[in-house]
Amino acid sequence: MSSEPPQDSSTGAVGTPADFLKGVIGKRVVVRLISGVDYQGLLSCLDGYMNIALEQTEEYVDGAVVNRYGDAFIRGNNVLYISAMESI
Amino acid sequence: MASQILPLELIDRCIGSRIWVITKTEREFAGRLLGFDDFVNMVLEDVTEFITTEEGVKKVKLQQTLLNGNNICMLVPGSNGPEDS
Amino acid sequence: MADLSAQVQEPFDLVRLSLSERVFVKLKGERSLTGVLHAYDGHMNMIMSDVEETILMVEPEESGSTVQTMKRAMEMLFVRGDSVILVSPGAR
Repeated sequence: MSSEPPQDSSTGAVGTPADFLKGVIGKRVVVRLISGVDYQGLLSCLDGYMNIALEQTEEYVDGAVVNRYGDAFIRGNNVLYISAMESI
Repeated sequence: MASQILPLELIDRCIGSRIWVITKTEREFAGRLLGFDDFVNMVLEDVTEFITTEEGVKKVKLQQTLLNGNNICMLVPGSNGPEDS
Repeated sequence: MADLSAQVQEPFDLVRLSLSERVFVKLKGERSLTGVLHAYDGHMNMIMSDVEETILMVEPEESGSTVQTMKRAMEMLFVRGDSVILVSPGAR
């Protein structure tokens, strides 16, 4: 397939989504859903659909914690983004 | 046909540069593009999220972020976001 | 529970470990469920039993909107995966 995203060889950039996913496991993240709800927690793992398992999860609506879950499975189709809260 | 540039080739040339991402909803993102895949999932760093509400535009700073390609509507290469245009 | 993280290699492991347990499920449309998880598949379609559904109903009125919750119970329930937002084990 020619549509495979080529790596930028001139800069040796390793910034593909797959690289991000490898680096972000075990880090504190914000997961924002399309609806605007945020989940903050420790990222235990994720898969190619962006299904996510979080630990020590806090659910934020309009900036306020509304729920806490020890563990949470988030279905990937709802995910707008995963953002690292610490550097990767 | 074969010599035509593919849309994603254009985006590939933006790796390392600033890019403006407009989603299907009231949210836009501007940041430096680190990479993307066939689904146009994108990794950005130094990100500003722009949330348009009735009260105005709210800005949120984010570190390295993986954006789900599902919700992406348009990409503007080389732009710093809505305030740029 | 202490070493749960070691057993969770992919997100679905978290759900698999919740089989036969009470789970909390958040659905699209301001709905949530608690119940016992019996089965699930890759779409996150689920079979649950002993389910309590909570529906949040926001009604706009002149003097601000009011939020009402409606609860109902179901013995056995199939949940279509595409409306699932979140599944958390150990539902209250």
